[in-house]
Amino acid sequence: MSDVILQAAGLHKSYVMGRTTLDVLKGVSLGVHRGEFVAIMGSSGCGKSTLLHLLGALDVPDRGTVKFDGTDVFGGSNAQRDRLRNRTFGFVFQFYHLLPELNVLENTLIPCMVGHSVAGWLGRRADLRRHATDLLGRLGLGDRLRHRPNELSGGERQRVAIARALANRPQVLLADEPTGNLDAATGCEIMGVLTELNRAGQTVVMVTHDPQVAASAHRIVTLSDGRIRNPKA
Amino acid sequence: MYKLFLCLRYLRRRRIAFFSVAAVCLCTAMVLIVVSVMNGFLQMVRDRSRGMLGDLIMENQSLQGFPYYQDFIDQVKHDPELGQRIYEATPLIISYGVIRFPSDQITKPAQVLGIRFDETCRVNDFGKGLFYEKYYPGTTTLKPQKEPRLGRDEKGQYVLPTYLEAARSRWEKSAPPDEIAKAWRSKAVPYAGPGAYLPLPDAYAPSGVDTTGLEPVAPAYDGPELPGAIIGTDMVAKRLPTGEYEREYYSRGSTITLTFVPFTDTGKPLESGTGMPSKVFRYADDCRTGVYDIDSMSVYVDFDLLQDVLNMKEDKYTGEQGGGVIPARTTQVQIKLNAGYDPRATRDLLQKQWDEFFMSRIHSVRTPDLLRRVEIRTWEEKQAKYIAAVEKEKYLVTTLFGVISVVAVFLVVCIFYMIVQQKTRDIGIIKSVGATALGVAQIFLAYGAAVGIVGGGIGTIIAVYFVKYINEFQHGLERLGRVFHMDLQVWNPEVYAFDRIPNQVQVWDAVIIYAVAVLMAVAGSVIAAVKAARIWPVEALRYE
Repeated sequence: MSDVILQAAGLHKSYVMGRTTLDVLKGVSLGVHRGEFVAIMGSSGCGKSTLLHLLGALDVPDRGTVKFDGTDVFGGSNAQRDRLRNRTFGFVFQFYHLLPELNVLENTLIPCMVGHSVAGWLGRRADLRRHATDLLGRLGLGDRLRHRPNELSGGERQRVAIARALANRPQVLLADEPTGNLDAATGCEIMGVLTELNRAGQTVVMVTHDPQVAASAHRIVTLSDGRIRNPKA
Repeated sequence: MYKLFLCLRYLRRRRIAFFSVAAVCLCTAMVLIVVSVMNGFLQMVRDRSRGMLGDLIMENQSLQGFPYYQDFIDQVKHDPELGQRIYEATPLIISYGVIRFPSDQITKPAQVLGIRFDETCRVNDFGKGLFYEKYYPGTTTLKPQKEPRLGRDEKGQYVLPTYLEAARSRWEKSAPPDEIAKAWRSKAVPYAGPGAYLPLPDAYAPSGVDTTGLEPVAPAYDGPELPGAIIGTDMVAKRLPTGEYEREYYSRGSTITLTFVPFTDTGKPLESGTGMPSKVFRYADDCRTGVYDIDSMSVYVDFDLLQDVLNMKEDKYTGEQGGGVIPARTTQVQIKLNAGYDPRATRDLLQKQWDEFFMSRIHSVRTPDLLRRVEIRTWEEKQAKYIAAVEKEKYLVTTLFGVISVVAVFLVVCIFYMIVQQKTRDIGIIKSVGATALGVAQIFLAYGAAVGIVGGGIGTIIAVYFVKYINEFQHGLERLGRVFHMDLQVWNPEVYAFDRIPNQVQVWDAVIIYAVAVLMAVAGSVIAAVKAARIWPVEALRYE
């Protein structure tokens, strides 16, 4: 855990809600080291998810910078940010967000399809499918490859979402309340998966409001009133 | 890759898209059917016009006709320039009269045409439409003839006179098997070959009577020799719903009486003192041009005979300033050109030649206007008004149906907009894993194209088959209408001039309409694609 892989500095983000402007982030700075497991905590609506979206180039800050491996994420074009989301970051959402028309394997392969042209896909199809199948096998979904999301339990859906996030071997896994929609036992199971991945070297940034879930992380940062209260924690 | 994958998956799994496919399919089929039928109709008008008229027509549009036609034909045939352009030229008399079928005492108005049989067959498609000539090649003539009557062999079967039987054998040797089978399916009774013939009284056997073992009766040519007439098929045969003709009422060789209306060269009705001349003919053959108006009232007789009856042969007149000669007249000359020669250019050359020709003769006739008003026109010019009207009708109908088809675009717009609304979260997911705004837009554009390709493709196939079997559909409707005592006949040959609905789809029509269908479906998906591209992933993924 020596080098900083992700560095946010002075992030500001506000939303216009009708006639009022809601300042969600008021100058957030945060560094994430390679291989680190960081949990971002805070009360509902404090801006945890917004910070995660900015760290993963899913949203654009009003002010401030996010650097990945020293390169400004928002300094480049939209296409570069799209590429980062595809290759470098992997997202896991609270509500799984799987595509209902696709089966487990196809959902997992979607980032690979996004990252390849038709010709490129046809050339690497077998490798990519093998990788996705391995991933799903490791996550205990080896016998569920052809099932659609509506045929899976909540825990299984979240594991598919994790598999999808890992499909392109991202350098940073960003999880937004990954256990928020699950019962305690299943949430534990999912945290086990994330911890295991982190042990294997995967950098993980997780948003949660549950201290028990956050306890799995190396470091917990608390967000309150748009600022980080314990940046060194 | 994901664009293609998702667009195909959405096409398969989003049922609502089937409505877009159905809309595009129906509109494509509708427009292609309309365009094909209208194009076919126009093509039939053109083909039949050319088939009936040859390449060039020379006439002064009067019933008296014009003189010196033969001199002019001979002159241009021997002209070094025109001679090599002209394949054949033949005079033709068009007049009106009354036809009477003595067997059932039916009298009908008729257009009586005087033709030189062999020349006419070379100039236009007249010969191709002859019924008996097709099955008994070489036996149709306008010359005086007797009635062929069937005999009976020792097995009790009807037999044709040897000359006709030999002709039929010749045809059978060269005809395709399915055509022979079709000819034998003909319902003409009594039957010894295609078409209807009467048996000799001794040979006649009512159906059901066993004739085996009876003395054979030799077939024969019976009755007095009478000039032949070729009659429009719809006058002598009954058209079946299948489009085939049944010849049960009139047999080959039966007699008809024609009554003529002759005029003098000055246009006055000829006062013969014995009323209008009449003449008895034998039904030598029937001719189908495919144009109902012609086939239901035309009778073709020998040119020289008609010229004689109508007093259009060379004659003499006497007047206050002495007398003179009235040269023989015709009402029309039809000209067929050798392949490769432009009818318009040839028309100009001929017209120039005619202008010089008639000036040299104008003082030798008492009706110079008949010469002066002779015009040479191409078949297209002669039929220009009719062709232009059909062309306008074609554009009008195509435009109307094209405009109606735009409804499909709006349907695609609505359905795709709904799909994007439903798929907002999915679009957010795809963007969260790195899909670009353009890529997401392309999914919906490709989706639109897929709807166009599938819908347009199915529509094209439906249209091709519908047009191919359009006459059968029409007959089916007709039959259905008869069951329910309703008139469901869509195509009335008396109204549309042709007895069959055109049933050919031009490849280029299909290609163009298919391409437009795909483009319109893509155009219909543009709004949805732009909306999808603008979806902000964070907003789309915020809530379940």
